[in-house]
Amino acid sequence: MVEKQLTRERASSWSWILQAFTGIMLVVLLGLHMVVQHFVVTGGLRNYQQVVQYISNPFLFLLEIAFLIMVTWHALLGVRAIILDLGLNPATERKVTAFLSIVGVVVVAYGIWLSATIVAQGA
Amino acid sequence: MKLNVKIYRYKPGTEPHYDTFPVEVPETANVLDALERAWADHDMSIMFRHACHHASCGSCGLLVNDQEKLPCVTPVTDYGEGATLKIDPMRNMPVITDLAVDASVVYQRMELIGMPIIRNAETIRPDKRTILPEGLETFGRFENCLECGLCLSACPVMATDPQFLGPMTLAAAERLLAEPRGADVDRVYRLVDDEHGVWRCHSSFECTEACPYEVDPGAAIMRLKRKIGMRKLKRFFGGS
Amino acid sequence: MASDVQPKPVKRKPIEWFNLKGKRVGFWAYVGMRLSAIGLVLYLFLHLAVLSQLAVGPTAWDNFVALAKSPIFLLLDVILIIGILVHGLNGIRLSLIGFGIGVPSHKLMLWLAVILTIVFSILSALAIFSETH
Repeated sequence: MVEKQLTRERASSWSWILQAFTGIMLVVLLGLHMVVQHFVVTGGLRNYQQVVQYISNPFLFLLEIAFLIMVTWHALLGVRAIILDLGLNPATERKVTAFLSIVGVVVVAYGIWLSATIVAQGA
Repeated sequence: MKLNVKIYRYKPGTEPHYDTFPVEVPETANVLDALERAWADHDMSIMFRHACHHASCGSCGLLVNDQEKLPCVTPVTDYGEGATLKIDPMRNMPVITDLAVDASVVYQRMELIGMPIIRNAETIRPDKRTILPEGLETFGRFENCLECGLCLSACPVMATDPQFLGPMTLAAAERLLAEPRGADVDRVYRLVDDEHGVWRCHSSFECTEACPYEVDPGAAIMRLKRKIGMRKLKRFFGGS
Repeated sequence: MASDVQPKPVKRKPIEWFNLKGKRVGFWAYVGMRLSAIGLVLYLFLHLAVLSQLAVGPTAWDNFVALAKSPIFLLLDVILIIGILVHGLNGIRLSLIGFGIGVPSHKLMLWLAVILTIVFSILSALAIFSETH
């Protein structure tokens, strides 16, 4: 007689594969971000004018947004992984996934808004 | 050799505590012998499981100084003259009394995954001349599995997730998928390709460290992850 | 009757995720991964919040930058980098073994990650403290 919890409905998952993929993307993108934001301008950190100049470059704008998407996705997948280790019931787990997905969308939207605002302020 | 055994005690309705007993055993003794000495000389109400005394039945799984062991084959000389051996029941399983746990955790999972094929005779240490059976990429060690449950005790995910299949089960699944012999492969993939199947494993490898018979469930799980990952990617990109 | 005895139920104890007693290097790596993950997630949200100062204006941002160049901050930056190295290098190891690559050498990979973490932490600390002025 197999306990009820073991026979719960099972579903194929891409979460770990996405975790690994976003992680590998971050090895490159985070590395780039750290170098570009800490070691390119004299003195290391960019002042306001230097930030405006940087983010107004369309390629760099897109690169930073791509980085934000990868890091947010990886971070929230990770938070979800830790929560799932608690073995909660399927309905609760779906709510957790939905909530974290919304947080992810909000964070990326905030990043795009903020970057666009800086570009506009500097123009 | 003189030792102290510090034994976890629990009787239903009472608070758990430790009792420490001095014992004297021969140098060639194993931890189980020391435990039995404590039982015989000091307190016959100590409850613990033991049967074959030679790592064949998998009954006696315990924690010795917070590490998963089969006490029947763990020499007391591993700990030294005068050492205190803290003996606890296996983790992640309900404690019935003292060191005896409800091990249905083990049997339910094996039943769920379906018993993988067990040969009548299989080389334990394959030599270079041994030819692998068709379908096997490598000699798994699953034939060695005693269903002792030590890997389930050692696993940090088993500590918090009752739905997790666990190392032993996933290693069994990997063995079954390597050589299905008519088993329902899709059913097994559905069980393991799931958030509480293989994907809850975080590669701590404590299962491999705990296994008394070199099954190496950790490595089996990595091979299983590869199998599942490749299958998913192939299907996603239009293969089958 | 013996069959009436109810076993003591297993309680879910997340603190066990960090219990190192009797555990070995693979477990230490897993703990390092989890702790650095939690630290980095908290840092991420903090960092995104701080960046809002850019929307406030030049003075607000330049004031923050001055603060960010103080020794305490630079030290926190080094701690951040250690967290990134622990998480990233072990993450590469996990990605490899999770695709069945190099599994027999997983402990070797782990020690390599530890050595690289130490080396690059020291190099980063030197670079940060000399570059920022």
